[in-house]
Amino acid sequence: MQSPQLTSRHESTGDPPEQQLAIDAENVHVTYEDGTEAVRGVDLAVPNGEFFGFLGPNGAGKTTTIKTLATLLRPTRGTVRINGYDAVDSRQAVCKSIGYMAQETSIDEELTARENVRFACELYGVPAAEQDGRIEELLDLVNLGDVADERAETFSGGMKKRLDAATVLVHQPPVVFLDEPTTGLDPEARVQFWNYLEAINERGTTVFLTTQYLEEVDRLCDRLAIIQDGEIVAADSPDALKGVVGGDVLELTLAEPTTEADRAARIARRSDALGDASVETTDTGVTVTSEQAREAVSDLFVSLHEADIAVTGLDVRSPTLDEVFLSVTGESPEGADRDTQRTPATTQEVAQ
Amino acid sequence: MSNATDDAEFAGDDTAQIATGNSFVSDLRISLKRWLVKSTRNPFVTFSSLVQPVIFFVLMAEVFGAMAGGTLSQSLGADVDYVTYITPAIMIQSTLAAAAVSGIGVVDDMESGMFDKILVSPMNRGALFLGNVLSEVVRIAVQTLIIFTLGYVLLTLESGASVEGYLQTGVPGLVGILVVAVVFGGVFMAYSNVVALVTRDREATVMIANLLTFPLLFVSSAFVPLDALPAWIRSVAVVNPITYGVDGIRAFMLGRDVLTVVEVTAFSGIWNTVVPAVAVLVGFNLVFGAIAVRLLDRASKVSVK
Repeated sequence: MQSPQLTSRHESTGDPPEQQLAIDAENVHVTYEDGTEAVRGVDLAVPNGEFFGFLGPNGAGKTTTIKTLATLLRPTRGTVRINGYDAVDSRQAVCKSIGYMAQETSIDEELTARENVRFACELYGVPAAEQDGRIEELLDLVNLGDVADERAETFSGGMKKRLDAATVLVHQPPVVFLDEPTTGLDPEARVQFWNYLEAINERGTTVFLTTQYLEEVDRLCDRLAIIQDGEIVAADSPDALKGVVGGDVLELTLAEPTTEADRAARIARRSDALGDASVETTDTGVTVTSEQAREAVSDLFVSLHEADIAVTGLDVRSPTLDEVFLSVTGESPEGADRDTQRTPATTQEVAQ
Repeated sequence: MSNATDDAEFAGDDTAQIATGNSFVSDLRISLKRWLVKSTRNPFVTFSSLVQPVIFFVLMAEVFGAMAGGTLSQSLGADVDYVTYITPAIMIQSTLAAAAVSGIGVVDDMESGMFDKILVSPMNRGALFLGNVLSEVVRIAVQTLIIFTLGYVLLTLESGASVEGYLQTGVPGLVGILVVAVVFGGVFMAYSNVVALVTRDREATVMIANLLTFPLLFVSSAFVPLDALPAWIRSVAVVNPITYGVDGIRAFMLGRDVLTVVEVTAFSGIWNTVVPAVAVLVGFNLVFGAIAVRLLDRASKVSVK
């Protein structure tokens, strides 16, 4: 069982011992030179081998947090420990034990795919005897085996992204940080990449991932945290977080939604069987969220029938992470981060 | 530094591991290799290293030679051919062209994300930058040797077989030429990195480099003896590093003291030129180098402890 609250891990009982934490951040603040408090007191405790998702609306502090964990930014306050090493005092040791994939694709376009991966091997001191095999394996894994000796400048955006991903894993680090790794990938490549991430996670690699795609989190992550305005506002397993939405979701499709949706919504609100429900009208009918949604279906159906409202479709389901996100942050997860991203030039200038 | 025993402690299983990292020398070799490969891939580099010097050399030798021959005889005597005279200028001009845009490498790395990628790796930061510098040194040395050979060929074509006197100081002189070229290159590499790190923009770096460096060639002793030039040019030439680079190399080529902007007589023969010229260039290196190192340090301070 995962601990329900990341922020109170010292008190909770289900936590792994301290040295088993791959990522251990305490009260991390990051303030930029212009005074922007991008991260305000983030606590994270990610045990070894966990697949951890990190979500948040535009400009909430996701990239700043992941850069701080990966030693690219120095926390203004608080401590970061990766694999037991302090990210400031033992920076070199942290560098050796992590892989980091930036949001912007980071490859050398003048080099070939193979040369890019080899350079990464060399950076991390992969023994020369192992390099050829590992390069071959990684390039096949990201489906670039056929173009291994072509220069990266000729690649499509998706190919470059996959090449970048391959270079992050050359040294088989115990922890990898991935900042929106699947943004810009086509659906097929995304699924391939997911399979790959699942494979390395199964081998024991701790994965810390930010993403805009909630289905990605739903499929891959053991736990996730949602950050808003630099503070973590929710952290738990995907299923547990879906509980915060307030029950299951019942979607009714009406024959005449424009004229009858309001009336149907009133009936749903008055329904005793639904209890304390949240009811909204939609373009196609009515959406009801309630702990008793499943039990109350037939009652509601009868009530609507008695009121002469024709129901043409009916669906009861668990809430999605999108609804979790909306309910926790009050913002839709859709908008991309791009506009609010700081340029590299300004991220360099963190207040020390 | 971590060591092998850390692996067992933190590995999630037998596949995950702590990278071993490298020694400084290995880091330097890796960084140098990458920059050298990149140089060979870049058509701009090939052009400015090989094609441009040839064109410049031939045109200047022919056009300026026709005009400056008389002046040259007055200043240095009739035995100095103009080809020999401007060979050092072409060497310095090519070195300048290479060094003045070397800062682009750093800007490109920042734009492409390679800079951050290397910063999160265990690579030594000093090795990262020194690799770039060394690749430029290699390029400057190769260019200089090419131009040296080219000068010899031109002189042979012009004056038949009698080419003794092209390099008065022999093989040690050639080593001296390379040293002066590299030390001179250092000034403009540092300058270029300062511009690149301040602007963080590829185009601006190229533009500012060209804008400043091309005119500098003409307000120096590069093409015509200074005593044949207007007084204001002679004044500017005193503070122009190109004067010292060209005169330093020229002293080795002609085997005599050619420095006219400052009169040094403490040494003997060519050393009256070479010693002050190298000293001035080292001074420029220290000033621009200190600024560049400071800026580079700041650029990577994001994360360093």
